[in-house]
Amino acid sequence: MNVRLGACAVVTLALAVAAPYLLNAYGVYLVTLTGIFALVALGLNFLVGYAGQISLCHAAFFGVGAYATALLTEKAGVPYVLSLLVAGLFTTIVSTLVAVPALRLRSLYLAIATLGFGVVLQKIIFEWRSLTGGGGGMQLAPPSVAGHPLTATGLYELTVALLAIGLYGAHNLSRGRTGRALRIIKESETAAGALGISAARYKIAAFAISAFYAAVAGGLFAYLVGYINPESFNVGLSISFLSMVVIGGLGAIGGSIVGAIFYVLVPELLRGFNNDAPGLVFGALLVAVMVFMPRGLWGMGLRLTRRA
Amino acid sequence: MARLTIEDVSVKFGGVHALRSVSFAVETGAIVGLIGPNGAGKSTLLNCISGITRPTTGRTLLDGAVLSALPPARVARKGIGRVFQHPELAPDLTARENLLIACHNTMTYGLVGEFLMLPGARRQENAAENKVSSLLMRLGLSAIEGRRVRDLPYGHRKLIDLGRALLMEIRFLLLDEPIAGLNDEEIAKLGDLILALRREVRLGVIIVEHNMAFVSRLCDRLIALDLGEAIAEGAPAEVLGHPKVQAAYLGEAPNA
Repeated sequence: MNVRLGACAVVTLALAVAAPYLLNAYGVYLVTLTGIFALVALGLNFLVGYAGQISLCHAAFFGVGAYATALLTEKAGVPYVLSLLVAGLFTTIVSTLVAVPALRLRSLYLAIATLGFGVVLQKIIFEWRSLTGGGGGMQLAPPSVAGHPLTATGLYELTVALLAIGLYGAHNLSRGRTGRALRIIKESETAAGALGISAARYKIAAFAISAFYAAVAGGLFAYLVGYINPESFNVGLSISFLSMVVIGGLGAIGGSIVGAIFYVLVPELLRGFNNDAPGLVFGALLVAVMVFMPRGLWGMGLRLTRRA
Repeated sequence: MARLTIEDVSVKFGGVHALRSVSFAVETGAIVGLIGPNGAGKSTLLNCISGITRPTTGRTLLDGAVLSALPPARVARKGIGRVFQHPELAPDLTARENLLIACHNTMTYGLVGEFLMLPGARRQENAAENKVSSLLMRLGLSAIEGRRVRDLPYGHRKLIDLGRALLMEIRFLLLDEPIAGLNDEEIAKLGDLILALRREVRLGVIIVEHNMAFVSRLCDRLIALDLGEAIAEGAPAEVLGHPKVQAAYLGEAPNA
């Protein structure tokens, strides 16, 4: 088992290092985008998969992270990598302001409340023209890292590195006291209370963790596309993030990665076969995954490998 | 010695009196049984102590400090453990992982320490793992520690639930029908365990139970409730023989 796991890690690492040399520019873009979305899904999984909460405002956190990173880098001259971290922390604070009132709500009501928060955040970015450029968006030049402008390959490598750290952190969080607390809260808040675990506190923590991941990913995304405007961070994107987590498999770290890969790559592959209706086929695939794999792609994969 | 006091507690749900000015106190080292027919208010009383239900009037205190204004998690952290009638465990986690959940408040590391699994956090995790290992051994569950809880028999799940309360370094333990669904051997083992805990750590225990043989064996004192009122209190034989208690159980005779 451990040998197999080690082999997997080596192959993954080799592929990750070789990818920019094997792929064309568009390929590198797609793989980077997958990594960015995987980062969002990893964080969101804590909220949705572990804590059992729902959010329709994570595209807005992704957007706040993107704008905060861009503003810090472009206007304040903060080094890019540091901007990512600071933007992540800033968005985490914003998210706790959202989480505190949202905690009083459950399921559908929570979904609608977070939907509202997402719209408000998007609107703030839109209206704060002096800072964000409003609806016209922000054009971004590649930031300089270690004295050189960041290339597409450089951004890809940074994304892979941050994804690796994000994976390590998510692994630790899921197995540490936070992950355990979230699992018992999802099962029964009464039981959690009897064990001295405050459900409210850990739901806020789950919100904060997921917002941090989303914001750092947003900061990478801003410089992947080179242009951001408020429209990009809409509810549709929040729903996409949510779908990645669910398709991949709730409560499984690997599932978040698989979900992001599925979400980015499958429509691309479908475009090769059928230029007219990739959306239609993709939609049908989503339905099929949910009907036949209730525990997501990751859960299905686990079942198949265990049987083998 | 610590003292848990229930002071003139009443609970009204709508127009119904679930509890009417109930008062008593339990010291560490004492085992007190709460008996009474269904609907007498036994579980409501436990819920008041653990902070799940707010008393309509009256209060609960631990060593003179008011508990009844605190949320359940804070009450638990004051050293009051609660075991529910039906074990509420995380079904997809193993027996060991479920027990680790209860070590939550013996650990102090924060989110950043956890994210990076810094040496301090790892040390605390290892200490908790060791505590869980010795508890598993004590409960006789070492062999099944790696099994997912959803695959375990009911008796094991109840033991794990009790084990969680014991890991919290509590001074008082509230047990709601601890032996319902257990077989004779498991019942005897559980009784031994509770008596041992009283001896070793001077745990104070309040047990809600219908099995009169079990409460007579364990409890120093019984309190009989009927329709939310305490109708008798004293030594087990005395309370069980009390005419009001006999009357309350008419048609629902206490099984000896």
